[in-house]
Amino acid sequence: MTDKKISRRDLLKLAGVTTATLVGLQVANQAIASEPAPAGTRQWAMVIDQNKCTGCGYCVMACRAHNDISPEITWNPVLEAGQVGEKQVYLPRPCMQCAKAPCVDVCPVGASYHRPDGIVMMDYDRCIGCRYCEVACPYGARSFNWKAFEGRNPAVPEWGEPEVARRPRGVPEKCAFCYQRIDRGLALGLVPGVDPDATPACVVACPVGARAFGDLNDPNSTVSKLLRENPNFRLREDLGTGPHVYYLPATAEA
Amino acid sequence: MLKNIKPFLASAWGKWLTFLGMFLFVGAMAGLVVFWKGLSVTNLTDLVPWGLWITIDLSSIAMAGGAFFLCAGVYLLGLKQYQSVARTATFVGLTGYTMATLALMLDIGRPERFWHSLVYWNEHSLLWEVTMCVMLYLGVLTLEVLPILSSFEWLRTHHPKIAEKLASTHHFAPYLAIAGLCLSMLHQSSLGAVYGVLKARPFWFRPDISVLFIVSAVAGGMSLTVFASMLSARLTKRAIVHDAPLERLSYFIGWMMVGYLYFRFWDALSMTYTYQVGRTESLNILTGGVLSFNFWFGEILLGAVLPIILLLYGRTRRNPTLRMLALLLVAGGVVAFRWDTNLSGLLVLVSYLPGELTVSYTMYRPSLVEWLTGLGIVAYGLMLFSLGVRYLRVVDHSLEQVHPELIPQPVPAMTEPHSLPV
Repeated sequence: MTDKKISRRDLLKLAGVTTATLVGLQVANQAIASEPAPAGTRQWAMVIDQNKCTGCGYCVMACRAHNDISPEITWNPVLEAGQVGEKQVYLPRPCMQCAKAPCVDVCPVGASYHRPDGIVMMDYDRCIGCRYCEVACPYGARSFNWKAFEGRNPAVPEWGEPEVARRPRGVPEKCAFCYQRIDRGLALGLVPGVDPDATPACVVACPVGARAFGDLNDPNSTVSKLLRENPNFRLREDLGTGPHVYYLPATAEA
Repeated sequence: MLKNIKPFLASAWGKWLTFLGMFLFVGAMAGLVVFWKGLSVTNLTDLVPWGLWITIDLSSIAMAGGAFFLCAGVYLLGLKQYQSVARTATFVGLTGYTMATLALMLDIGRPERFWHSLVYWNEHSLLWEVTMCVMLYLGVLTLEVLPILSSFEWLRTHHPKIAEKLASTHHFAPYLAIAGLCLSMLHQSSLGAVYGVLKARPFWFRPDISVLFIVSAVAGGMSLTVFASMLSARLTKRAIVHDAPLERLSYFIGWMMVGYLYFRFWDALSMTYTYQVGRTESLNILTGGVLSFNFWFGEILLGAVLPIILLLYGRTRRNPTLRMLALLLVAGGVVAFRWDTNLSGLLVLVSYLPGELTVSYTMYRPSLVEWLTGLGIVAYGLMLFSLGVRYLRVVDHSLEQVHPELIPQPVPAMTEPHSLPV
């Protein structure tokens, strides 16, 4: 009887230890979760001027060529966004590179992650293809590779040459601010947003200069100046995602 | 050998296995097509990336919800009269979790990287937490099933020592019950929270999904266990049931469904008073649109109201046919809830354009390959359970008399909590 009693006490101890461990894990997790948004010396941002955008779609094609994207997928669609006066307004929508990105939080294997410069990256070799990120993204910025993209890319070479590896079947893909151009440009001593070779392909391809790119932490960068001097907005700010893509709204006069 | 085939195929058992085998074979072939061709053979899209398979996945795990609950009742609260039912529930649980694993392997785009989910961790992700819990609990269930394997007649005659060893693992049942309780409380709820944490989907963004998921999993899991026990006992002599604990459990399920229906009704109807873009539209398709039949009939009327009446009213509960019908309806209602939850959020898209937010709709119907693989998974589950009933005696309430060594010595502290010597 006595040893049975001990075994019951052991049982309760085990339950206590298990609970404490689980609570401890939770606390530890929250400590990790409450880390501030990754801050580097640079925070890349894009500013898109809706007054200038004509909806020509050059950016879409340049994006497809430089990132070797299937014609069935668009990382950066140009959407019709109503009218101001008589004028049709367009809204190009790259990945917002959210500071509090839902896709990064929900990815079970950490295949979506932040770079210190704010870019939301995809590790296509780690992704298991569960598509939780697609479900979580408020902007529809992710496209799944339902089948393999094989054969020639019709956007190449007219709109540029591929700079990154083609993604395999079974993983979602998205815009990453042409990180490969930024990294290569910085290595060559160029300034992203100023030198075309260090700037995202869509910004370079825009024939009317509707897109600007640069470092938010640099007060003299084009994007910092544009945001200081113009009214601007971000998409679905109410969700608290903190996008790194800003828009200058279309006005009737401009 | 061949001589035995004909009578085997002519027997009811042989016909049942052949029937399931056909679905299993076709499902396996369809599964190969999925692995070969990729997910382009499904009707899933970038707008509806989760469909039939995720419903099967969630439902299989829900149907396993009876295992942790009954094991906790038997081994932690000392409700010894349900031990045999807990044994059945444990086997149903293992069947459900392996079904879920199969469905997931089909559903993920890179099945060969399934092990990434164990090696690469993102502790922020609810899906990470669910994966961890499911894997650990699958281990717990396997350990809990070990004593059941000792009932295998061939093993008992050919390797009695191994059978004895397996049977002796029953000693750990209380510890496993604690682990099972912790893990299941976490991930059964978190499966709902997988949806509930997404702010981008206004209809899902509510914490009570988690509560509804675990309550419905326990009710649905126990219902399926009791139903399967009763059905097996009617179909084969190898399944022996005592009706008293099954009836008592059914009564309990009836009351549990009252609580669940209250929560579900409150959960759905409290949303009607304010318009919120996306949320209101999702509620509309649930209560008056494409999902309304599922909701009113599958979930509410047939899935909750009718079984509550049948299970709480003594005369209908004591009628085995009506009780079985009620239990099956409860399980079906839980599946309908999983399906509705998934699609009500996905079929409504909220715009992200500046200005007033607008809503657009999309549609999803599973493709033939999705159905065939899905049916294959269900056939696998039925076959595993049937084999368990026949060879492992997973539904056998008379086991105490047959194999007294299989029953661990009851812990006196559990049965008489107040009579301990100080």
